[in-house]
Amino acid sequence: MNVDASSETVLALETSRRELGALVRDSEIEIVEVATGFEELARHADSILQLAGAVAGCVEDADVLSVLPRVQSLGAAARTFIHERMEATAGILETASTEAKLLDRLSELTRGQRSIARETQTLSVLTNIEVARLGQLGAGFQYLAHELDEFSQSVTKGTKELATRTDERKTAIEDTRRSLAASLPRMRQEFARIESDLGSALEEIEQSQSQLSRAPAQFRLCVEEIAGQISEVVAAVQSHDITRQQLEHVQEALALMEDKIRAIEENGATDAHEPPRISAGLAIQIYQMMSTRETVGHWVTQIGGCLEGILRISTSEIAEIGPVVVEQERGLSAQLARIEQLEQDCQAGNAEVQQALSGLSNLMGLVGEHVERSRSVRDRMQLLTFNSIVEASHLGSKADTILEISQSIKRISTSWSELTDRSAQAMDEILLLVEKSGAEMKAFSDEGNEALRTAQAETREGLEHLRKAAQFAAQQADEIEISTHKLQGRIAAVGVTSERLSGCFDRMGAVLGEIERIGQQWEKEYPGAAQRCDHNEMEVLFGASYTTEIERDVLRAALTGRPVPVAEQNLAGNDVELF
Amino acid sequence: MRKILTVDDSASIRQMVNFTLTKAGYEVAEAVDGKDGLDKIGQQKFDLVVTDLNMPVMDGIEMITAARKLPGYGFTPILMLTTESQAEKKDAGRKAGATGWIVKPFNADQLIAVVQKLVK
Repeated sequence: MNVDASSETVLALETSRRELGALVRDSEIEIVEVATGFEELARHADSILQLAGAVAGCVEDADVLSVLPRVQSLGAAARTFIHERMEATAGILETASTEAKLLDRLSELTRGQRSIARETQTLSVLTNIEVARLGQLGAGFQYLAHELDEFSQSVTKGTKELATRTDERKTAIEDTRRSLAASLPRMRQEFARIESDLGSALEEIEQSQSQLSRAPAQFRLCVEEIAGQISEVVAAVQSHDITRQQLEHVQEALALMEDKIRAIEENGATDAHEPPRISAGLAIQIYQMMSTRETVGHWVTQIGGCLEGILRISTSEIAEIGPVVVEQERGLSAQLARIEQLEQDCQAGNAEVQQALSGLSNLMGLVGEHVERSRSVRDRMQLLTFNSIVEASHLGSKADTILEISQSIKRISTSWSELTDRSAQAMDEILLLVEKSGAEMKAFSDEGNEALRTAQAETREGLEHLRKAAQFAAQQADEIEISTHKLQGRIAAVGVTSERLSGCFDRMGAVLGEIERIGQQWEKEYPGAAQRCDHNEMEVLFGASYTTEIERDVLRAALTGRPVPVAEQNLAGNDVELF
Repeated sequence: MRKILTVDDSASIRQMVNFTLTKAGYEVAEAVDGKDGLDKIGQQKFDLVVTDLNMPVMDGIEMITAARKLPGYGFTPILMLTTESQAEKKDAGRKAGATGWIVKPFNADQLIAVVQKLVK
């Protein structure tokens, strides 16, 4: 090799060495900035984890987790409440229809009694005429005419009152029946809707509770994942130090070769082994740089990947626990308010139904009195019939008309007795209706609402816990959002620095190209020189300063022509060996 | 708070040791080479030292040898954190008085666990 070529080679090596030095210095600045940015980023991630941890802990609280069973109880109580109301309403409607029919029957009976009263009045008049005709003989029948008159007036008065009350009751019960008949389908529709809404609400609560119950485990997983990512970044940042050392060793080797080429240039190739040493040295440095470039690519990519991982985990489901709790509390409060409204609406309807049904009790009292009066009338009529027939028999044929009147009274008494029995039967039926409606009204009573009210109170209590958790979660969620924004900003900044770091090492390509060019030139000048050198001597010459096993492996591969080994990336870092 | 000294000529390594151990609740001081480390050891008592092997001015072995002669440092745990994994290097470290050996990069959890074990 001539002097100019040697000088040019030395200059090229020197330039490459200086560029490598600059590259190492620049990368050192960037890696420190990456590490600083990463520390800040880890602090933000920690802060997010702490906030999310507080939310997860709050969600794990037994009181918050008890909300679902409480709401399930409320759902069951509300369903029972609704079904009982619907059944009772249908029952009351049926009772009203039965009562309407009973009232018709009572009207008919009353009409019959009034007809008898009119007939009795006629008999009273006829008796008076006959008493007048008989003169002294008929004086004993004066009481009969009087009794018949009094009886007629009393029955007319009683039946008139009963007829009036029955008509009023018929009107009232018809109104109630019409109102219930109209409202029942609406109630069914409304109840079905509430039942369906409750079902959906319960389903949603179950889903969100299930999501919430997973939160602590998710949180722990996030903590582990972020810790893993942080460990990997810590390991990756340390890899720069290994790269730095490798590149410093390349620089030392380049300086050594510069000296050797200068010596050849100055003194001539006095030692035949020097050119092969330089050939081998160039080959080794090319290998070292190729290996380093590959390794750098890995750990720079690793840093970027870990940073993205931290961002992804920090902004994942764990950060959404807060809004889930808030949403759940809102949904539950709305459901509870709806059930309370339903209960209030039902209470308002209760008063109407209760008023309508209380009329039945009044009617029962009136009919009862009427039946009692009818029985008394029946007894008096029977006695009157008996006495008048006996008295008429004593008078013989003179009292034939009176006897006929007595026979008519007997016939009327039989009819009256029949009507009284039918009235008593109607009375029994009214009694049954009163008992039935009493049972139905229980569903509308406070007692019927007790289970629902207890469930409401328990749900309200559970909601209070959830509300507190929600308020806390909402507050934490805001802070998580702020921290996440900071984290994103920091990741973006670290990303830019990582890019610059990567750019530093991209410059290694040009240096490598230059050394490869010098190597080719040297090979042209001294063909096969590298193969002629002593490998052990080369290991001592170029590898004495090596501080890593990978450098030694690369050196041996370069000398034997094996493919360039690449350092296995230990993402988790190495363990500690205690002596 | 327990005090730990990290000695390394690489700023990023010092940063990572500092970050890892500070996060674990230790107070961490830094030295840029063996001499700087020895000076700091002389100025205050550290509960544990994590040192690199190859450093300018004074390497880790020299620093450990000198530190062991200082009063109060006879049994202070000193961990070597280095890219070296050769048996003879480890042997030299052990003979100089190192307590343990870690090949870079270190595992953060492992480092914390060992420090917790050594610094009670």
